[in-house]
Amino acid sequence: MTWILPEGSTLAFAGLSTPLRVVRGIGSGSQGQVYEVELAGEGLALKWYLPACIARDPALELRLGAAISSTAPSASFLWPMALLRPTPQSQRLLRCREPGFGYLMNLRPAGFVGAVEHYGGLVDLSLASVLRACLELSAAFHALHSRGLCYKDISLGNLFLEPESGRILICDNDNVDVDGRDPGGVLGTPGFIAPEVLLGRARPGANSDLHSLAVLLFRLLTRHDPFRGALELAIRCLDEPARRRLYGEDPVFIFDPVDQRNRPDPELHSAALLTWPIYPAALQALFIQTFGPGLREPERRVLTGEWQNELARTLDRRQICPACGQENFRSHQSPPPPCWSCGAALPAPLRLRLPCGAVVAAAGTNLYRHHFDRLQLPQLRQPLAEVVAHPSDAAILGLRNGGPTPWQVTLVQGQELQVEPGRSCNLAAVAAIVSDDGLIRIER
Amino acid sequence: MPPFPNVRLANRPLHFIYLCDCSGSMAAQGKMQALNQAIRQSLPGMARVARENPEARVLVRAVRFADRAHWHIAEPTPVARLQWHDLQAGGVTAMGEALELVADQLASPPMEERALPPVLVLISDGQPTDDFDTGLARLLRQPWAQKAVRLAIAVGHDADQEVLQQFIGPESSASGQRRDPSSRSPRRPLQASNATALAQYIQWASTAVVGAASMPASRVEAHGEPQGNIPLPDLPPTLLDPIGDVGPVVW
Repeated sequence: MTWILPEGSTLAFAGLSTPLRVVRGIGSGSQGQVYEVELAGEGLALKWYLPACIARDPALELRLGAAISSTAPSASFLWPMALLRPTPQSQRLLRCREPGFGYLMNLRPAGFVGAVEHYGGLVDLSLASVLRACLELSAAFHALHSRGLCYKDISLGNLFLEPESGRILICDNDNVDVDGRDPGGVLGTPGFIAPEVLLGRARPGANSDLHSLAVLLFRLLTRHDPFRGALELAIRCLDEPARRRLYGEDPVFIFDPVDQRNRPDPELHSAALLTWPIYPAALQALFIQTFGPGLREPERRVLTGEWQNELARTLDRRQICPACGQENFRSHQSPPPPCWSCGAALPAPLRLRLPCGAVVAAAGTNLYRHHFDRLQLPQLRQPLAEVVAHPSDAAILGLRNGGPTPWQVTLVQGQELQVEPGRSCNLAAVAAIVSDDGLIRIER
Repeated sequence: MPPFPNVRLANRPLHFIYLCDCSGSMAAQGKMQALNQAIRQSLPGMARVARENPEARVLVRAVRFADRAHWHIAEPTPVARLQWHDLQAGGVTAMGEALELVADQLASPPMEERALPPVLVLISDGQPTDDFDTGLARLLRQPWAQKAVRLAIAVGHDADQEVLQQFIGPESSASGQRRDPSSRSPRRPLQASNATALAQYIQWASTAVVGAASMPASRVEAHGEPQGNIPLPDLPPTLLDPIGDVGPVVW
């Protein structure tokens, strides 16, 4: 690999008070090269653009400047921090004659992997982690869109996940722009581009982001492409004109309830057939909406806030199969369907009735502010309580007080006791909990 | 916590075939060694791209041609398992026969019913000494060869540019009017005048082009430039040769 900025060199940039040391090159892509750098003792990342990328995208520098002067919409964005142009002395040290520029951002913390690793089955996330990642992704886009901005190019390639927690990081924020102000530049990534943008009938913006977001959510949840079914199998050579048909001219959702032309193949598209039924009908309905009427009418696509709410409700329905340990998402059907993984019947679970909704008691499930306050959109930071298994008997479920103040707990027999922060109470014995955030009733 | 359901991701094969000139002239100026090195050094990057493109099964093969053409790697080999055995130079330039060997393999069968566009990379430093036209005609009769991304790398300045351009196919007419012969384009033979340039082009073909043919990259508005059935990524920038860059000479 030939690096434009020599590894080990110390370079001065206009506007930086101290020179920056190039530690090593860490990646390269179609747009540029990414380096680990050191600035005043701090490790940072520097993305340096290739000359062709700068030439193709005249508004790039302007957009970057605007992004830098605003701040990151949420902690999920690896946001540009400073635009760097080399001083004339440093320019001579670069292995490229054309003058260029780049931007500084934080290094991606260890432990985050590319979303494509999950898609390709190279890392294992639990279903709950995938749903959490999807919820965080929707929340990040909600924050971005709420500021009047759009991303334009979300895909598997610029999303990173922390497998254990489901936390996310969104990279390559250099296409972010004010929605509707579009001086050209990126159109998106094929497979994720909204049909109207792919066909050249509209410019990328917040509405097309909603299509790309839904594609990305679907691919994370099912490890399959929402438009690759029988119509894909009819294509011998999957090239650009074929993709245009599949994603632009005649896109058909593989699970469209009416149009059955593009059903998954039992053999070749088995991933979709196995994973799709795991999710509750209410969540499936959002995909059916966005990939149904929303394909041709962008204003009918599901909005970020709706995704957040429904993904949160899905997490609230999580139930662990006592036979195989796999995660299920309890449906409202009666009788409920058996475990998708092993086929065992799922027992009726304990439920926590909260001011805003109900949560199935399953180890690892958290209660958050949005369970108590209708005005809060779901987010997964700062849990107020966690359902925990007893350390010596995993069959006993407790609720741990994750807040700063004690709970007043009423037991089934009527006694009252106090549960301090950090302590847990056995849900089998509890009738109700009064916390500072609100009332929790246990339903059997 | 139990892992995500163990599902098999749908994927398609992507056949990547090197056609390497091993004529006697490749022995001069270390060209043969440079090509062996360039391909060997490019394999980790190619493996990384293959890993990042789970919808593609990248399978590599290679043909060598001198007095005759032979399969150097006959078995379509996943790039992670590929070992590059050095090519040896010696003989004339049976390029036409090399194209025929590839043509036979791009017929269906043995080609799969469904695949991604194959990538063919022809590397040469001279003129064909056999019937190039017949070989090319036979290759281009195969639908998979017509769909293939065909790239050519000219090693040194004695390569037959005309022949390499015929392999790539005509540059599309729309761009003909504003064609600048000094500018580089992947739709023209890539001129590798030194080992660094050769390595960069091999790396570009085995990573950026493989990426583009398997899982498309982010798309920027095209400025009227006609694209083939696979839009090709930017060529690597003309970087200053790090070895030749000794820094200031007088100060």
